[in-house]
Amino acid sequence: MKRAIHPASAGRPSENKMKLAPVLIALAGAALVAGCANPSRSRDLANPNVPAPVLAEQVCSNCHGITGVSVSPNFPVLAAQQPQYIVAQLKEFRAKGRSDPPGFEYMWGISRKLTDAQIEGLAKYFSSQAPAHQPPEVKNASVREAGKAIFTGGIPAKNIPPCMTCHGDKGQGNANFPRLGGQHADYVEKQLLVFQRTNERPEGAVMKTIVHDLTPEHIKEVAAYVQSIG
Amino acid sequence: MNDSQAATTVAAFLSPRRVLALVAATILASLAQSSFALPLFARQTGQNCVACHAGGQFPELTPYGRIFKMTGYTIGQRTIPLAAMGVITNTHVANTSKSDDPNSDFSKNGQTIFATGSLFTGGKITDNIGAFAQITYDPYATQDANGNYHGHSNADNIDVRFADRFINPQRDLIYGLSLNNNPSVSDPWNTAAAWMQYIPVPSPSSNQFIDGNAPYPSYAAGSNIAGLTAYGFWNRTIYAELGAYGSSNGALSIMHAGVAPEDQTKLRGLNPYWRLAWTHEWGPHNLMIGTSGMSAQIYDDPLDTSDPSTTHHWRNLMLDAQYQYLLDPHSITAQLVFEHTRHGYPGFLANQPSSFVDQLGNPLANTNSVDTSNLLRAKLTYVYRAKYGGSIGYFNLTGSTNTANQTAGFSPDTLTITSDSTVAAPSTRVSGNLTGNPATQGATLEAFWTPIQYVRIGAQYTAYSKFNGASTNYDGFGRNARDNNSLFIYLWAAY
Repeated sequence: MKRAIHPASAGRPSENKMKLAPVLIALAGAALVAGCANPSRSRDLANPNVPAPVLAEQVCSNCHGITGVSVSPNFPVLAAQQPQYIVAQLKEFRAKGRSDPPGFEYMWGISRKLTDAQIEGLAKYFSSQAPAHQPPEVKNASVREAGKAIFTGGIPAKNIPPCMTCHGDKGQGNANFPRLGGQHADYVEKQLLVFQRTNERPEGAVMKTIVHDLTPEHIKEVAAYVQSIG
Repeated sequence: MNDSQAATTVAAFLSPRRVLALVAATILASLAQSSFALPLFARQTGQNCVACHAGGQFPELTPYGRIFKMTGYTIGQRTIPLAAMGVITNTHVANTSKSDDPNSDFSKNGQTIFATGSLFTGGKITDNIGAFAQITYDPYATQDANGNYHGHSNADNIDVRFADRFINPQRDLIYGLSLNNNPSVSDPWNTAAAWMQYIPVPSPSSNQFIDGNAPYPSYAAGSNIAGLTAYGFWNRTIYAELGAYGSSNGALSIMHAGVAPEDQTKLRGLNPYWRLAWTHEWGPHNLMIGTSGMSAQIYDDPLDTSDPSTTHHWRNLMLDAQYQYLLDPHSITAQLVFEHTRHGYPGFLANQPSSFVDQLGNPLANTNSVDTSNLLRAKLTYVYRAKYGGSIGYFNLTGSTNTANQTAGFSPDTLTITSDSTVAAPSTRVSGNLTGNPATQGATLEAFWTPIQYVRIGAQYTAYSKFNGASTNYDGFGRNARDNNSLFIYLWAAY
């Protein structure tokens, strides 16, 4: 936007009024008309007509990544997650049943008006993505090895079963048992602590018993390992 | 601060008014919690403040908060488009005695006051349009002949946007237009001039030396103008913005609503603003390195824009960087801004003789036709669990010496130091300037507590090692930079 300035008239208020305002108002008006409805690129979380892939791209991807592989470990990787698990979690968030801090802070609002169809669509979208293959987040190989031992063999002395029994030998998950392979170590560690120390995830109550006797070190080790097997 | 001053400060904080204020704030907070009614954007997304604000500290944005802004405040669902904010403060300056008029200079010193309040509106309007608009009330905007203050409201930050986003696994482009009234208010990073600030920023009249009134990066064109900028964010890596600003006349006069004609900024023609930034996210880290700037022609007298030769020519150029480490329960953020400013004076103000002389009676240099200055601002903040936080800030302003800045000097008649009430700056000792140099340097320490996300209680201490060009005797009558050291305690609440 360039405008020639006539030195003799540039300053007169009446002229200024005529110069800038109509251009801006016209542009704002055009923008308003263009922006009334845009379901193919909407970020409206209360419109049942917005297709799930659009919401995944326009909203979910902000934290979980467009490929389902989140950059920040504050947010879980969703790529290739079990669809049943995604559906269950989104419905838990929507019903305010899952109340761990990240879930409460971020997901209650996001999910509050999602329809069942949108939730199914989001589950399909993320579960269809290629699993994450990221470099190990915990560089210490011996920590990961210790985690592998727990993951594959459990801790018999404490009656802790191998994680792979339910989550699969490659951490790929199975139905309501989530994929763990490739998940951020920090996220896995924090969620295991949520299971162990709180009742904030009632849908995962089975985990409360399983992780009851895990030490903080065990939890770190398992988390380090499952991230590395993505 | 000596012991008696400290005791006075403590006493002030135990006053009935303060206790009442705290009780009121607690009730307000309880109401907010029980009804789950949140400030505007939180209501719109249903999310907690920490989703968009790093460590819950306003206004600093997380990567997600930046995208929320860049996509035009359109994530979520339409809601009641109103929110309010209020700030109660108490300030205490180290020395009130070295002043020509302490009652005027420090009228609010040691008093618990309702310092400022804002009303916000905006949020999601359509799938592509959203807004952020703030109206701010200053209870101490004007003072009458009897010394009584009168409150006043005016338009604060206004940002109306159109935005769209094309995204797939191969590429991601957010683009938009922002119609706003303050250069850089559209910027998503908090090193931008409009956003690099401690919150809350109280009424300037409550204490002129708190951090909010110390040198900050800023655009000379101010905050009551009108501009349109176009921006794009490519693959969450490159951000570019280009726009132009003019006076807010006609239908755009809402951009300066409530601002008195003599306080408005009148620009000549359209004035360019630009912004370029590179950013990268890895793990819980993110980094931004950028530059921005504006060139502006501002009329010396906003009430008389008839003569283009009466404009000041300002050029502000900034280099900035921001780093964030955000991984629950820790938030670490660092901000760094360097600003270079060039100020060309209109002919009738440049090259004018000074009314002062040197100590031998020789004339001083005429006033400058151009001033330059450099400002460095840095801030490091840590917040734990979005509740307990602390920060340290540093500012260092240097610039050219200009006899036009002098409020005091040697009188040609007596060869003693006198003040001159005809110069532009107030001729009081407190804001005086003997050297003509703007150098101001200092640091601010802050600790705060956010018991719930809509209430914040904090204390800042700002210490000056230089003020208006000198560490000691900056006014010519014995006031030192450290005399301006200030304690600022606040209670902030939003609903």
